[in-house]
Amino acid sequence: MLELHKVTKVFNPSTPNEVRAIEGVDLTLEEGAFVVIIGTNGSGKSTLLNAVAGTFLVDTGTISMDGIDITRWPEHRRAGLMGRVFQNPFTGTSPNLTIAENLVLAARRGLPRGLGWALDRKTKDELRTRVRQLSLGLEDRLDNAIGSLSGGQRQALTLLMATWLKPRLLLLDEHTAALDPKSAEQVISLTDVIVTRDRLTTLMVTHSMHQAANLGGQLIMMHRGRIIQEFKGAEKRRTRVDDLLARFEEVRRADQLDVTAAEMLERAYV
Amino acid sequence: MSLLIGALTIGFILSLLALGVFISFRIFSFPDITADGSSTLGAAMAAALIVKGVNPLAATAAGFVAGFVAGSVTGVLAAKCKINGLLAGILVMTGLYSVNLHIMGRSNVPLLSSTTLSTYAQSVGTTILGGPKPLNILGWDVTVIDASTLLLVFLAIALVGAGLYWFFQTNLGTAMRATGDNAQMIRALGVSDENMIILGLAVSNGLIALAGALLAQYEGFADVQMGIGMVVWGLASVIIGEALVGTRQLGLTICGAVMGSVLFRLLVAIALRLGLNPNDLKLITAVFVFVALVLPNLVHKFRSRKAGAAYA
Repeated sequence: MLELHKVTKVFNPSTPNEVRAIEGVDLTLEEGAFVVIIGTNGSGKSTLLNAVAGTFLVDTGTISMDGIDITRWPEHRRAGLMGRVFQNPFTGTSPNLTIAENLVLAARRGLPRGLGWALDRKTKDELRTRVRQLSLGLEDRLDNAIGSLSGGQRQALTLLMATWLKPRLLLLDEHTAALDPKSAEQVISLTDVIVTRDRLTTLMVTHSMHQAANLGGQLIMMHRGRIIQEFKGAEKRRTRVDDLLARFEEVRRADQLDVTAAEMLERAYV
Repeated sequence: MSLLIGALTIGFILSLLALGVFISFRIFSFPDITADGSSTLGAAMAAALIVKGVNPLAATAAGFVAGFVAGSVTGVLAAKCKINGLLAGILVMTGLYSVNLHIMGRSNVPLLSSTTLSTYAQSVGTTILGGPKPLNILGWDVTVIDASTLLLVFLAIALVGAGLYWFFQTNLGTAMRATGDNAQMIRALGVSDENMIILGLAVSNGLIALAGALLAQYEGFADVQMGIGMVVWGLASVIIGEALVGTRQLGLTICGAVMGSVLFRLLVAIALRLGLNPNDLKLITAVFVFVALVLPNLVHKFRSRKAGAAYA
C-alpha cells in the first residue's frame, strides 16, 4: 500500500553540518497495518515520517502509495491521502481560529475549497456530534479559539481532524511526547480506538518503549538512518519493553567501537 | 463643513486601503510594501482610461484588476521564488513606478473635465433631490455633490466590507485565515499555502488599487507620487481600528479598519486646520505607527515588572 524504495535524504550536503538523515531505507506497509517506529535520537525516524508526508523531497529513491509514484508530490497534494498529527500540539491546529473553524478545515482535507459558506447549521451539528464522542466536554465550546485549549485537548482535536475524512494513511509523529503523562495516556487510547475502529493504515513514531511494545502489529527499529530490525506478527506480540531496551544497549555498545576498528576486527575474526 | 465632509469621504475611500493592509499585515503577517505602488497603479489605470473616454465604472474596475495582478506578482516572488517578503514588495513597488508612468504617459493626469464616478454621484444626487440646491443638515449647508459622493462612497465601502466578511467565512476564506495563522497545519490539510498567499496579496492589492482609483476621481487627478506612504497610512488606520474594537471578531475587525481610517482622516483634517505643517504629516504618521507598535510591549513589560516587584 505504502512503498519506500531505497530512500535517502542528506541535510546540508557538502557542508560541515552535513547530516545523512536516512540512508537507503526500504519499507512496505500492508493495507491496514499499524507500524510503530522507534529509534535513538537522530536515528532518522521522524525524518522518515516527514519524507512520507512530503515536508521535503527525498534525494534518491521512490515513495509510492497504492502503486502511484508520489515521490515528487508537494506536501499539500499528499495531504489528500494522509492525515497527520505532529509532536508539537501547536503545529496541528490554528490557534486564532475557533474549534469549529479548525474542524471544518479538516473536514475538507484534500478537497477543493470554494466559496461555499464554511460553517452552516447542519455542518455545525455534525461537528458537535463528533466532538462529543471525544468526551472532552468541548462540544459546547466550538466557538472558542483553539489557542485557549490545553496541549492534550489540542492534540486530541488534531487527531480527530487528521481522521475526520478517513485517510489512506495516518502519520503520527511522537504525538504524545510533549504531553503530560495523563494527557498522553488519553491521546494514546483515543489513537488506539480510532485506528482500530476505522482500520486505518498507520505509521507511528514514538520515543516510548512502552507504546512501542504495546501498540501496533509491526515494529521497526531505526539507527543512524537505517532500519536495523523489524518485528512482525507473533514476534512483535512476544516483544516486551525489556527486549527493546536490550537491543538498544547492543546498538549502543556496537557504536562505541570505532568504524575502522570494527572493520579490522571483522577481517581478523569473522 | 465641507472640510468635514471631505475628510469623511477620503476616510471612507482610504478604508479600502486599510482593508487591504489588514489582509496582508494582519491575516498573513506579511509586510507588503507593494501598496505604495499599487494604490498609484489603480489611480493611474482609472485616470488613463477615463481620459480616453472609457466608462468610469469600467475604468475603476480595471484599476482593481491591475492592483490584483500587481499583488499576485508580489505573491509569486515571495511564495514561489522564496524572496524575502519585504524585498518582494519593494521590487514590485519600484517596478510599478515605471509602469505607472507608462500608463499615464506623464507624471500627472487631471480629470476635472472628464466624466468620473464623482460626476455620476452628482447627477444621481441632483435627480433624487430634484435640483442642485444645497441641503441643510443640522444647520449646515452641504452641497449636493458633497453629500451624494459621501453617500455613494459609503455604500460602496459597506458593500466591499460585507463582501470581505462573507469571503473570510467561506471554505476558501477560512483556509486563507488559517494560512496566516499556521501554515504547516494548512499544508497538512491539503491547501497550498503558497497559492493562498498569492491570492491573498492579490485581493489585498486589488482593494488598495481600488482605493487609489476612487481617490483619483474624487480629487480630480492621478499623480505618480500619490502612493508614497500609503502602507503607513493603512497600517495607522488598522491600528486605530483595533484600539477601537479589539481583534476578537472578524466582523468587528473589518468595521474597525473602516472606522480607524475615517477617524484618522478626521484627526488629520483637524490637525491641518489647527495649523500643522502638511510637510510634517508623513513624519507624524510614521512616528504614530511606531509608537502604536511599541507601546503595547512597553506597557506589558512595565506591568510584569510591577507584578514581579509585588512578589519580591
